[in-house]
Amino acid sequence: MLKNDIPVIKLRWYAWALAVVLLLAGAVTLGVFGGFNLGVDFESGLSQRIQIAPVGLEVTYSGNKDAVLAISGSALSLEFRGEEGVSATSFRSQAYPTAKDLAAALNAVPEVTATAVDGSLNTADLLSGYGFPATLGETPTKLNFQGAGTSTIEDVRSALASLGNVKVQTVGSSENQTFQVRLGIKDGANQASMEEEVKNALASFFGQGNVVVLQSDYIGPKFSATLLSSSILAVVVAMALILLYVWIRFRFAYAVSSLIALVHDILMMLTIISILRLEFSSTTIAALLTIIGYSLNNTIVIFDRVRENVELNKSTALAKQIDLSVTQSVSRTIMSAVTTLVAILPLAVFASGDIQLFAINMMFGILFGTFSSNFLAPSMLYWISKAQKKQTAVVEAK
Amino acid sequence: MKKRSRLVIVLAVILLCGYFLYPTIKWYGFVPQDAKELATGSNVQIKEYARGQASRDLRSLKDLVAQDSKAALPAQYSYLKDSAKENYKAMKRPVPKTWTLEAVFGGFYNEQNLFDTIESYYRTSLLELKTLGNKALQLGLDLRGGMSILLEADTASYEAKKGGSASSAEIAEAIRQDIEILEKRIDQFGVSEPVIRLQGSDQILIEVPGAADPERVNSFLRGKGSLVFKMVDTALTAELDAYYKANPSEVYTDTGALKQPSFLPAGKIAAGYYVSDAYGIDELESYVVIEEEVGLDGIHLESATTGTDGITGRPVVNFQLDSLGGDIFYKLTSTHVGDTMAVVMDGKVKAMATINEGIRNSVQISGFNAEEASDLAIVLRTAALPIELIVSSQQAVGATLGEDAVSAGVKAIAIGLALVVILMFAYYHVSGLVADLALLFNLFIMISVLSAFNFTLTLTSVAGLILTLGMAVDTNVIIFERIKEERRLGKSDIASIKAGFDKAFWTVMDANITTIIAALVLSQLGSSSVKGFANTLAIGIVSSVFTALFVSHLIFDATVAHREGKKLHISWRKN
Repeated sequence: MLKNDIPVIKLRWYAWALAVVLLLAGAVTLGVFGGFNLGVDFESGLSQRIQIAPVGLEVTYSGNKDAVLAISGSALSLEFRGEEGVSATSFRSQAYPTAKDLAAALNAVPEVTATAVDGSLNTADLLSGYGFPATLGETPTKLNFQGAGTSTIEDVRSALASLGNVKVQTVGSSENQTFQVRLGIKDGANQASMEEEVKNALASFFGQGNVVVLQSDYIGPKFSATLLSSSILAVVVAMALILLYVWIRFRFAYAVSSLIALVHDILMMLTIISILRLEFSSTTIAALLTIIGYSLNNTIVIFDRVRENVELNKSTALAKQIDLSVTQSVSRTIMSAVTTLVAILPLAVFASGDIQLFAINMMFGILFGTFSSNFLAPSMLYWISKAQKKQTAVVEAK
Repeated sequence: MKKRSRLVIVLAVILLCGYFLYPTIKWYGFVPQDAKELATGSNVQIKEYARGQASRDLRSLKDLVAQDSKAALPAQYSYLKDSAKENYKAMKRPVPKTWTLEAVFGGFYNEQNLFDTIESYYRTSLLELKTLGNKALQLGLDLRGGMSILLEADTASYEAKKGGSASSAEIAEAIRQDIEILEKRIDQFGVSEPVIRLQGSDQILIEVPGAADPERVNSFLRGKGSLVFKMVDTALTAELDAYYKANPSEVYTDTGALKQPSFLPAGKIAAGYYVSDAYGIDELESYVVIEEEVGLDGIHLESATTGTDGITGRPVVNFQLDSLGGDIFYKLTSTHVGDTMAVVMDGKVKAMATINEGIRNSVQISGFNAEEASDLAIVLRTAALPIELIVSSQQAVGATLGEDAVSAGVKAIAIGLALVVILMFAYYHVSGLVADLALLFNLFIMISVLSAFNFTLTLTSVAGLILTLGMAVDTNVIIFERIKEERRLGKSDIASIKAGFDKAFWTVMDANITTIIAALVLSQLGSSSVKGFANTLAIGIVSSVFTALFVSHLIFDATVAHREGKKLHISWRKN
């Protein structure tokens, strides 16, 4: 038990000054960076389906006709378009079961050179990705085969780590080695340049040509503006009803003070997200809501104590009552913050991606929430009560 | 309240929650992965699988009986005994004492009968698993993945309908409207937290959590115009029936579509009459000749509700027609009294009824199973898609957060929970363990209520879960600190516990009521992911208040209060 009460009311100017300075810093950084670091949930972006598959064959053509290589089903077909017309040859997997067999067959075609990179791969596993049917030329055209790869989602994620927050999903079962990647299109980039960046990042990790892009598309945001505005409306209505409840159960001053503390918490969270350039994603909304709930709970517990003390001892000055109440609640406040932080900390350390982001937001939120419930809300209560008393005194004097 | 009656309430809650949790535990803990995959397939896939298994089993049974008919029935086929026993009784023959292969074969009327029994065995077990899976707590797209469906706008049919070429801006606008309608529809279908977004310029990507049944996906894509009313030509129907019977090879074209016989006059078409079988799959029942001309288009249906027929108990759909539709329908029905009318959905005749009198506005039709009826009603309630959509690909996808991230997150949550449990014990001694027990009990209640309401667990709802677990600990902390305070004032253990719980009561209530107000508003007004958070929070608040004020209190009362010589351990310090 503390010997002296915590001088909450004495410290009120410092507390508010700290809050205002931080909020201003947030507003400034927000201005400097030109908005939040929006995640792919809120922005349009690029969605690609990729498959990791080894290169089995490299084919070049040195002639002057149009040589087109196409893959359909499990067959490879080579088509020549020249002045004398079109001639096509089809190499079926039944006749040429492996990449080695294919290479031998292709080499038999004049002016075509095929090198088997991995001759043991099965023709039946040939893949047709972006860029097929391919026109052959001096630069080797690479043919990919679905191999017995063991690349995991972690591999893909680390390959693309340099491109910011990338969402990776597995597609189908793991032996398909197929993944869906989504990433936001950042300022100064367009779809083509993002595609190039992804391609290079994957090539440097998995080896040149070992990744087939099955599909690449521009995607719209997951959250439309209407969804966001409906969430904001919901928060505003919720706050109004809370105000009403606290007004009825406590008094008007308590209601307004707890709401101001809540607004502070939200703004403070946005500030820290802006200063640290944390990504603003759908998990951020979840974290914000959680903190609103957490901080509200904290504030009400302290106000409850204030009300109780005021009723017990009507003659003591309000400032003293508030100091006493905060102090009486302090072991509960600390214990409650510590248990929550302890529960969240492993998530912030060990988890990754959105979950980690959520945990980091929460840790800051708990600190801000505890601060506002213990310092800002009580001092606000003090100010509003004093102002109300002055008003009633004025009315009575008249 | 007496301690005994309080204990009864707590036990009742435990039992009820256990009952709700059972499907979830069984599904995730005891159903093998391959069985899960089979059970989450579409009904058509289940049907094919059951048939395949049945023919395989039948073949091997026949091989076995050919080798040694006196051999005992292998254990894996022992389910056949029950059916065989019943058949023996029905045939009024003695039931054999030992089940040799021969005896089992004797217990079936013919090979088809045996096949049907085996098929129904596989079918029932898979369909039961499917129901179980639907009752289990679903993990959301972000945590476990689901199914991604890529839809493509059918611009050709849009232009054909419009009668001219459409500009790209016009198509983009139509697709935007499609997305809005789909959002509404999918929401009404009860699919939790789907993701719908534009991909490329004319594609829509839908992701639904869990192993979404492809048939359900198809059902919310179906448009309004696909339901029409047409008149049946009874005389030609009889003629068609006779013709098909005489020429069985002339029924289908090579692609499996119904062949239109040459004797049908212009304006009349042959269609199949379909009824849902045991799998809920449309089975061709008979053939009907209907007018090509549409009697009444589904566009005129204004509202639709589902109900049950008072006499037959079968599901029915009640339609309200708009005024123009009412006029058309009245004209049609009043001139065709005594004739038969067909309800045609997606080119299949789903129901037929004889017209007794002229009908104007409200129509009741049957012939659907309950699920179809409610799906149809939803599709009819939401607007028609301005531009038709074609499914271009359907594929299972992993968690959007990444499987690696999810498993790391689960580990971290477990570590965090363990740390909280240790911390509470370290600070509050044995009383900390009471709080820990309340915390775990709270987790148990929450997960079972979430499964009972068929909610989908996503990252945001896990956030709600963490918050409520924090609040559950907090409620205990508030009470414990109060008890300590009272003890410092010199009160006895029993008196401190009573005063502590009494004084903390309104603090806990006020804190939780304000939060539940927020939760309820968010669950009504928020977008789908916010809803998930709010629902979990609301459930969690109720359960944490219950566990702290009721369960913890009961434990304290039972162990300390009213018992001589028992000391309250709420701190390691001696005071």
